Amino acid sequence: MTAKPHLYALGAIVVLGLLAAFGLHEAVVLDLVFTLLLYAVLGQSWNWISGYAGNISFGHAIFFGCGAYASALCVTHGLSPWLAIPAGALAAAALALVTGFPTLGLRGHYFSIATIAVAALVETFARTTPWLGKANGFELPIASGWAALQFPQKGPYVVLALVLFAAVQLATIALERSRLGYYLRALRANHAAAASVGIDERRCKLIAFAWSAMMASAAGVLYAQYTLFIDPPSTLALAISIDIALIGVVGGIGTLWGPAAGALVYVVLAKAVALRFGGAGKGYDLVIYGAIICLIAALRPYGIVGTIVDALRRRRGAVA
Amino acid sequence: MDTFAQLLVGGLLTGLVFALVAVGLTLVYGVMDVVNFAHGEFLMLAMYAALGLALIGIGPLLGLPLVAIALFLFGIVVYRVFIRRLLAGPPEATVFGTFGLLVLLQGAAQATLTSDFQSVPNPPLQGTIHLGPIALSQASLVEGIGALVLTAALFAFVEYTETGRAMRALAEDRVAATLMGIDVQRVNGLAFGIGAACVGAAGSLLMLSYPVYPTAGAPFALTAFVVVALGGFGSIQGALVGALLVGLLEVFGGFYLAPELKMVPVYVAYLAVVLLRPQGLLGRR
Repeated sequence: MTAKPHLYALGAIVVLGLLAAFGLHEAVVLDLVFTLLLYAVLGQSWNWISGYAGNISFGHAIFFGCGAYASALCVTHGLSPWLAIPAGALAAAALALVTGFPTLGLRGHYFSIATIAVAALVETFARTTPWLGKANGFELPIASGWAALQFPQKGPYVVLALVLFAAVQLATIALERSRLGYYLRALRANHAAAASVGIDERRCKLIAFAWSAMMASAAGVLYAQYTLFIDPPSTLALAISIDIALIGVVGGIGTLWGPAAGALVYVVLAKAVALRFGGAGKGYDLVIYGAIICLIAALRPYGIVGTIVDALRRRRGAVA
Repeated sequence: MDTFAQLLVGGLLTGLVFALVAVGLTLVYGVMDVVNFAHGEFLMLAMYAALGLALIGIGPLLGLPLVAIALFLFGIVVYRVFIRRLLAGPPEATVFGTFGLLVLLQGAAQATLTSDFQSVPNPPLQGTIHLGPIALSQASLVEGIGALVLTAALFAFVEYTETGRAMRALAEDRVAATLMGIDVQRVNGLAFGIGAACVGAAGSLLMLSYPVYPTAGAPFALTAFVVVALGGFGSIQGALVGALLVGLLEVFGGFYLAPELKMVPVYVAYLAVVLLRPQGLLGRR
């Protein structure tokens, strides 16, 4: 399979994004673009473990939270927020290893349950630990410039989100063409056959999970620097994990562009729900998200991109 | 010593309620290899149903069979229109499909019934019973014993009836069971209905002492997932043993650590068991 069309598509998105970042000044539009890119990154992060590796994570918010909290801790302790990128990644990877090591070598649903359990633990821990701000969270002191990773305009944030998105997409293209990617695909197709040729399931999936966690953490750093306020409900709660899983599922699990498509659908949906029902918190958003996940699971388990790829294959098959 | 005895009995009674919730989950898992992530939301629906009956004068205990039957029918409908389709898809579909159901049911409850905590007005069994140094609320005693009786009844059903045998056969070897003429869809549907009926009964019992709100079922379901993994997926006796263990861990953890940290030993135990004995305490490989 050739990566060229994907690289062209990614290049086009980067150019469009840069044009938006430097050409547009409407805060609302830039906010939308930033959110879209951030969600696409989170969806792709989820996709690495839940799509490519095939182990559904229900607690992905905690990796996002690792980055957000690392950022808040660095800034409030007078350290550079750039330090939060490796620190958050380290914390996220450690959490991923703790969750994944006992469960990723096993058949069955041990992993998904462990993600729920560990997520609940981490949220409780953050809510009750004084140096993590308890339920109040953190307000980040206002600063400006690249050293402080804060900007008065939204343009630079869009550029940063674009860089992160491009990096994550490139990493995913590399994954699809790498030995690890082939191993994961082999494990999904037939784990017994894959194991019999010496593929170490636990090791492969742990690597994918650690990368997945670190990507989500990077998104968390960016989020904290953007909103300058974080607390458990906005970074660690189950609701965030639901959003991330929704984005991954809608677009199509195990596909390169699925998470980006899912993020687009999600942002439009969230706006529509907010307009029609006056925002989250009343349950209507959950009804709609839940119904969409149910419908996709029952009718189109490979999501939007999976359905398109399927249709293309069938057409190509008919022509040949 | 008195505190210890008090916690011990409290933990066991809590564990019995967990057991009733968990056996429904483990039955469905054993028969059709589905972990119903919406199990806790079924419990939440049952609690609202019990509350609704209580408001028209039918108390939680009298209403228990009605709620159980309603949840049984609900379970069969959910299987027929939804779970059956998930089973035809890739293995991940049952995982995120039932998770979608969780989100949908929580949202629906929040949108129609608000997020307020609601309790049965003037609930029965408010007294306290003293057994030597141990003080027990009548409600928790009835909850625990009721849950034990119902868990035992389910065990007897699966062990001694023709349908129960069919369920065990499906759990053992799906293909062979199908070849023996077992109607998979019918037995799956029944098992899903019975799994829901378990939380129907559990929800009625819980309304004796707990309030209901849209996410009321989630902590119980989370505990039930851990219980089922501890006991071994698909094993009813395992669920009972696992539930008692988790009940004790939670009550002792809540007392000796801090109430908000009561789940910590439970989750740590889960990860430890999965690491050391992944088939669960009583499960088979």
